[in-house]
Amino acid sequence: MTDFVELDVRPTLRAGGEPFGQIMETINSLKPDQGLRLFATFKPAPLFHVLGAQGFTHQEKELGGGEWQVDFIRSGPATHASPPVNDGKGGEWPDPIQEMDNRELDPPEPMVRILAATEKMANGEVLAALLCREPIFLFPELAKRGHAWRGGFEPDGKTYRVLIRVGAAKGKAKGAGA
Amino acid sequence: MPGATLSRWTPSYFAAAVLFLLAAEVLMTLGIGYPAAALQAPETLIVVHFITIGWLSLLMCGALFQFVPVLVAKPIYSNRLPLPALLLILAGLAPLTGSFLQLGGYHSSEPHCFIVASVLLGSGFSLVLWNLGRTLWDARPLTLPARFVTVGLFCVAATVTFGIVFLLAFGGFVTVPFLLDLKAQGVPLHVIAGLGGWLTFTAMGVSHRLLAMFMLSPELDGPATRWTFYLGTLSLALVIAAGTAAIGIGYGLDFALAAACVTGLACLALYGRDVLQLYRKRVRRVIELNSRMASIALINLAAAILLAIACAILGILERHIGALVFLFTFGWLTGLGLAKLYKIAAFVTWLECYGPVLGKTPTPRVQDLVVEPRAIKWFWFYFAAVAIGTLCLLAEASLPFRVAAAAMTVATAGIAFELLRTRRLVNVSDALRLPAGARRPRLFFTFVPG
Repeated sequence: MTDFVELDVRPTLRAGGEPFGQIMETINSLKPDQGLRLFATFKPAPLFHVLGAQGFTHQEKELGGGEWQVDFIRSGPATHASPPVNDGKGGEWPDPIQEMDNRELDPPEPMVRILAATEKMANGEVLAALLCREPIFLFPELAKRGHAWRGGFEPDGKTYRVLIRVGAAKGKAKGAGA
Repeated sequence: MPGATLSRWTPSYFAAAVLFLLAAEVLMTLGIGYPAAALQAPETLIVVHFITIGWLSLLMCGALFQFVPVLVAKPIYSNRLPLPALLLILAGLAPLTGSFLQLGGYHSSEPHCFIVASVLLGSGFSLVLWNLGRTLWDARPLTLPARFVTVGLFCVAATVTFGIVFLLAFGGFVTVPFLLDLKAQGVPLHVIAGLGGWLTFTAMGVSHRLLAMFMLSPELDGPATRWTFYLGTLSLALVIAAGTAAIGIGYGLDFALAAACVTGLACLALYGRDVLQLYRKRVRRVIELNSRMASIALINLAAAILLAIACAILGILERHIGALVFLFTFGWLTGLGLAKLYKIAAFVTWLECYGPVLGKTPTPRVQDLVVEPRAIKWFWFYFAAVAIGTLCLLAEASLPFRVAAAAMTVATAGIAFELLRTRRLVNVSDALRLPAGARRPRLFFTFVPG
């Protein structure tokens, strides 16, 4: 029987907050035999990919009123460590609508795929991508196109996770990376 | 802005560098300099400085202006300074050649040549150092590859300083006994600081990152790689600082050079281990021309070191030093330089031309800018010619050496032609070459907005 650590992010979400950091913090603090029981105001589908990549399976249950309870149980080894978001200034961001794993692509393929994806996204939407190094040449291209980004290495020091918010830097000075 | 933009003048550095390589190879084909002349003969010095300043240093500077920002994830301090630096260095090579011709008695004594060469080359390299140094300074704490580059920059400063002391001493402008002693005994320090410190140690740091990047290998930053750095730095410090001090106190160079040799060999052995790991642990099984040809250059480095050890044991090191330096310079440094240039030229051209329209319209891949099966023939031809050239020098066969040098010239011209085709987007299919919004790259500079 799995022992669940409960995390209720409904207050955060209702207040317009971004609970991603809180969730990943809890995930990181789980003991090997523990699972996460998450309460949210919507079905947190993007999280299924992120935690799936870390070896978690999930069971979701609708609670009524649009609210959901999701149990995450560790079922396999993590394929990558948790991504701490470099949460600089710029307020709260919505959850990513798309997760991309570009770690095994030759340069500059990761950059090509990211830019192609952002062209298809609406303003304000967020793309998350995993890379095997800091995307140095991508940042100026993002700045030119008016996108904002946040990024950082995961604790393993090998995977770089970048979040890109489309159009979020338009109208600001060039290079509005967070 | 975080991240790195393209280096504006890097294509000019590369173009000038390749022209100097070709010029030096033509001189060797014509039988000018070693082995027809002595190793320290003025004719040899001209060829050597065409190679070390004109080709290798300009190539390295051009690459570092593009690459240091990638290593430190910060923009270059100035994207404008590289142009005056390049012009100063190019202008300095003319009076430097004039100075060597004077030493050979080819024209009458004009001592101002020595001063003009010193001032122009000194200020050109100072600008390079200031620009790269400021970029690195702003990016502290430095990653391991960036620390390799930093030590390399200290070494080029030392190399140029030694060179200026020699020039001023030759010109009769130096009367201080210590500096005259340095001129008389310091040539090994100048050579090792230049070829070993500036060119090889920097290339080691850069290759750590470039090989990892293009073969998708894990970055090396473990204790063994840190020891590669510490031992190499110690070795170079022994050569430059202890060597200079030893000359100053009249002690002779033997002890400093022997100590540097032990630590330097340990550093190179660890580097060999690093490189094997990079190739073995790569995610990418099929590797591109640049990584394949870099491996041949690395094998040449190993061969040059083993050959040097063998010659030392047999007591014939001094007799064959020319052949060993030739293999080191052309097999290792030039081979690695050409291999990486082939990739960097394609990459920066692609980024300049298609970066602004990526995702908006179909664009070619970087590999669509090159035709590797055609280019690799020139690379094999080049490496074969270098191997034969080395054997000719070991056998002291001057005329066959000139044939090998001619073959190197042809191979280099072939590679240069491939680089030109890449830059001009000739290999890209017509449909993809210039989509709306893309700008055709200029041959000698990069368009950098802002």
